[in-house]
Order: sequence, then structure tokens, then C-alpha cells
Amino acid sequence: MKTETLDSLNKMPADKNKYPHHQEKIMKGNYAAAEGARLCRVGFVPAYPITPQTTIVERLSEMVAEEELDATYINMDSEHSVFAAAMGAAITGERVFTATAGQGLFYAHEVLQAISHFRLPMVVCNVGRPSIPWNIWSDQSDSLSQRDTGWIQFYGESSQEVLDTIIQAYVITEKMHIPVMVVLDAFYQSHTSENVWVPDQELVDQFLPPFRNSPMKVDLENPKAFGGLIPPEHYNKINYSYWKDIQAVEELSESVGEAFGKKFGRSYPNIEAVNIGPQTKLVLVTISSISSTVRGVIKQYPEVGLLKIRLFRPFPKASVRKALADLPKDAVIACVERNFLGDREGAILQEMKRALYPTDFKLYDFYAGVGGKDVPPVTIEKIIYKALHQPEEVNWADVS
Amino acid sequence: MKPALDFLIKEEQVYSGALSCRGCGWSLLARHLADILGKDTVFVVPASCFSIITGPYPLNDLKANVVHTVFAAASATATGVRAALDRQGKQNTTVAILAGDGGTFDIGFQALSGAAARGENILYICNNNGAYMNTGIQSSTATPYGAVTTTNPGQGYKRTWPKDLMGIIAAHNLPYAATASLAFMEDLRSKIKKAKNTKGFRFIMVDGPCPPGHKTEPGQSIEIGRLAVESKLFPLFEVEHQHYTINYRPDKEMPVTECMKHQGRFRHLFKEGHQHLLDEVQAHTDRYWERLLSNAAVSMPAT
Repeated sequence: MKTETLDSLNKMPADKNKYPHHQEKIMKGNYAAAEGARLCRVGFVPAYPITPQTTIVERLSEMVAEEELDATYINMDSEHSVFAAAMGAAITGERVFTATAGQGLFYAHEVLQAISHFRLPMVVCNVGRPSIPWNIWSDQSDSLSQRDTGWIQFYGESSQEVLDTIIQAYVITEKMHIPVMVVLDAFYQSHTSENVWVPDQELVDQFLPPFRNSPMKVDLENPKAFGGLIPPEHYNKINYSYWKDIQAVEELSESVGEAFGKKFGRSYPNIEAVNIGPQTKLVLVTISSISSTVRGVIKQYPEVGLLKIRLFRPFPKASVRKALADLPKDAVIACVERNFLGDREGAILQEMKRALYPTDFKLYDFYAGVGGKDVPPVTIEKIIYKALHQPEEVNWADVS
Repeated sequence: MKPALDFLIKEEQVYSGALSCRGCGWSLLARHLADILGKDTVFVVPASCFSIITGPYPLNDLKANVVHTVFAAASATATGVRAALDRQGKQNTTVAILAGDGGTFDIGFQALSGAAARGENILYICNNNGAYMNTGIQSSTATPYGAVTTTNPGQGYKRTWPKDLMGIIAAHNLPYAATASLAFMEDLRSKIKKAKNTKGFRFIMVDGPCPPGHKTEPGQSIEIGRLAVESKLFPLFEVEHQHYTINYRPDKEMPVTECMKHQGRFRHLFKEGHQHLLDEVQAHTDRYWERLLSNAAVSMPAT
């Protein structure tokens, strides 16, 4: 029996000209994330292992050891220290990348707040998993619980999207001085191999300046104090300017996603609407890899559409309203939640209600796949049936 | 013997108007640190008295960069600053952490141990005033046995011994670790200079006078610091790769009570029926000194 090696799979005939100046490879989501960081020429990577993120920092460590990446890589003592070191290097002007998951992100919460309030540019990947009792499987409760820390958040549907979003994220973070979290799903993405088109370095360099150039940093010629006690009137002003800037992110992100498309051949809008129009009776709202499952299922359901949210923070209110403009007023919107934030409604329904208020649409919530439970097509079909025929306001799709 | 004069500061590297309490050790320490370390320094300051002393926004007491950071993460933040400076070719710039005992012994301990074990090229200064003084005198693991704090009040005075942080630090096999006192300024300055000129993770713990916390008069700060060294409550020593050197051996035996009796935080120990507690402090202090002597005796000169 002939065994297919990764190399031979890489040599499989494909549409080689689909994306010029790219190489098509087969890689796991975590490796795609590491590849994205490498292509962005990150200079500082503080690291701490945590499943299911670990292979991202392992791969980066390998890249530094093999001199594929000119970065300072430091094994830290905790995620709190990882984010604090990231903060220190970013405030001193370096382009910073790291990755974490679940407990690690929770542990770093304090520093997430500090990084955003320092207005430091950086990109961090989070591979979602929930809190104790120990669970390492796919769940977005970790990153969604950090949605109010001031970070921009993107959720990637595929490994390709994760890699491409990291590149776009550096453009956005260095323009806005707001940190960006790029989230991928545990195992379904992190440890699953997919075809990924890896752009050539030159292409990335043309899109993202190879070196970060920021006036806002520790400067030995012009010493300053950063982060000292700040009285209420000044704190208020700082938050006001942050508030103004965060509102510009939705439009910027949309234009960066479009510019990326012109350069790389793949565009990334803030949200994606599939089969949403006058004929649509039900729209399923998703983030991350569940979007792919829904994509497949709704091919059999001409009356069901998909709204995939890619930019989650700031929530793309204008994009969502625009996408639903032609939806009949009696249509049903059902949010698929792979998160539990300790309230009745999950994170997506909360945001959708906020974005659409006031609205005639009927909005329902379906918890599905919490704690990594698989969400196969049949579960999506159950959600569709229930949403169209006998929905409660909040439903657990698959509790048995 | 001619008095030593090399502790005079020729050109101040701090501005006037620091927000320290009267008799606080931080201001005097910061002046000498800044004088020796110079402008080519990035200071990293976790939550502490010094974070306030060096100035709320938009003030900066120091004429160098100051990065204020979260309580638990001074050593980790400094690691990032160091890495960035090194990448920018500024290997000779000093990165100095100025932290209190809470940020060193307690909440910042893990990050400190991590950075020390990694051998980060950082100078760590701990001003040990024996409690969380910035938040109003709460007990830390540096608080001396018998001391009263707001979280060890009255008869609930602290009944555990402070953590032997210098022993723990020494166990990290650092190129340079030392204790220092503002009452021994030449010694303090020579240690800062030595630390500045050493590569790797360097640690200096300075005895921190604190009139509001120790219940002393501001004018007594230096004198009490001297008594702490003379009575061996705060011995002056250096550890270089686990080689101990005792820098000052008191001429005469001075009981610890000579230092403690000036401090209101120990007042209750001098009441009737508490002599056995003072005896315990004396015995613990003697044992620690004996251990230092034996460590110094077996130490070969550092190479």
C-alpha cells in the first residue's frame, strides 16, 4: 500500500495559477498562524505553552532556531508574563506576536487591559477553549469573555483566513494603535490540515512595511514616563479618544480586507452574507469554523441564509445592518453560540440585538458545541427546523 | 579617618518635588540610583510607592524613561523592554526595575524568579520597607515577625517570619545580588556601580525607611537604618554566583531591641509579658547571621 506523505500531497496537481506569487501547502491551522507571523517579520515572541495553542509557539521557536525568522524568542514563566513582556517590547517599538488559549488568556486578562489602554500595536492568536473543569476543546468563551478589554477581535473560518487575517491585523494595529486578537477554533482548525496558499515574502512586504515605525515608544533621546497615575479628567480624555478611534475600525478593517484582496486575490469583508435576500426566511449567524458547516447545510435549504461574523470587536454594526437590509421583516435570525458567558443569552445574540435595535426581526439563540462538542450538519439541521417551527428565545441545540 | 565624600551628587538626575513622604527612603535611593545609572536607563516601575513618588501624569521625577507597569509583572515587562533595546543595538542601556517588597516578595515573585532564572540583563532594585505601604501598611511576606500592620493589627501582629528572599535569589545563581542601606551610602553606591557594570540579572535589596509605616519620626530614618545593620537585623552582604561576602561586621554586639524600640510597629512587644517574643526575634536574627558567616566562610572569591 502506498502511503501519501505530506510532500507528495504538496506536489499534487492543483490550480497552480490560482494565486500568483503564492505556494500552495498543506498545513494545520496553528502552523498557518505561525506562518502568518513569520511573513509579518515579527521581532519579538514571548512564549508559554498551552493546549491547543502550543504548536504555534513551537513552530515559531523552530523558525527562529532555523533562522527562517529574525526574532527574539523568550520562554516566559506564565501567560501573565508573556503579555507583560509583549507590552514591554511593544512600548519599546518592536513588532510583537504571541499565542495563547483559554486559561492563559484568562490569566493575562489584566495585561490585556493594560496593553489596550497603552494603545500598543500587537497581534495575538487565541485558540479558543473554555475554563475549568478541565476542557481543552473548541469553545469561544475565552476570547468572547475578553471582548470588552479594548482589543480588536477577528474570528477565522479557515487556516487560510487565519494566515491572511494576521497580515491584515498588523496593518490595522499599527495604523490604529489598538491591539488585535485573531481567534481560531481548537482542533477543528488548530490541529486540522487544510490547503493553504502561503504568499511570497515580497508580496507581504509590499502590503505591510517590513519594520514597525512608531513615534509612540521609549526613546532614549526624549525620555518620557508611560502609564503613571492619571487623574479622572485626563483618564476621561484618553477614553474619549479611544472611543472615537475604535469606531473607525469597522470601516478601516473593511478597506484593509478589500486592499488585501487586490494584492493577494482573496478579499475579506467584516462579515459575509450567503443567500440573504427577499426569499430568506431564516438567517443563521455564526463565527469561525461552524460557518463552514452551515455553508454546506444551507445548500439544501434555499430559504436559509448565513451571516458569518469575521470582525467581532468592534462589532460591525453598519455592515450587519447593510447585509440584512433586504431581509423580509418577518424573517427569523438564529445565532449559533459556541460560548457561555454566564448570562441567558450568548455573546452573538447580545451583539446582534445591540446592532439591530430597534428591529422587527425575531432573534433566537442556539447554544451549540459548547466545550468542544461536535456540531455536525445534523445539528445545524435541527437548529434550522426548530428556528423555523417552534423556537424558544434561547435554546440548547444538543443537550442530551 | 577621612570621611568618604564620593556619595556627593554632582548633577541631579531627578527633578525636585518628588511625592514621597518625609523621611522616605525612596527619594534618596532614586537620586543616587539615577546619578550612577545615568540617562541611558529605562526604569520599569510596578505598582508601588515609587510609582506615585516618581509622578502622576504628566510628571516624571526621573530624567530618564519610566515605564509604569502592572503589579505582578515588572520583571516580565522589563524582559520585553530589554529584548527590544537589544534588537535596536542598545545593549549598553540599563534596564532597571524599581519595586517595593510587595511587588518583589509576593505578587511579582513568579515573574522575578522567571527573569532571574533566564538571566535577563536587568538590574532589579527592591526597596524593602516591610509592608504594602502605598496602600496603607498591609502585611507582606517581607513584614518582620512581630510587626503590626493594618492587616495584622493589635494582638494580631505578624506571627510568621519574613521570606528569606536573598536566600531564594542567591539560589538562582545570579552574577550579582546584594543588600544595601541608605545609612551606609558609600557601600550602597559601590554596590549600584558594581551592579551597573555587571551583565545578567542583578538584584539589590535596600532597607527602606518608612516613617508612616514603621511609626517612626522622619528625622530618625537614617539612624534606624544604621541600627538595623549594627544589630544585624539587616546585614550588608553580597552574593556572586552563590559566593557570599559580608560587607560590614559590627564591632560590638548590639541587641535587636536597640533598633526595634524606636519603631512604633513593634511597641506592643516591649509591653510586659512579651519578652519571649523579643527573645525569639533575637534568636532568629542570630541564627541568620551565623548562617551568613558560614556561607561567607565557605565561599571562595568569585571569579
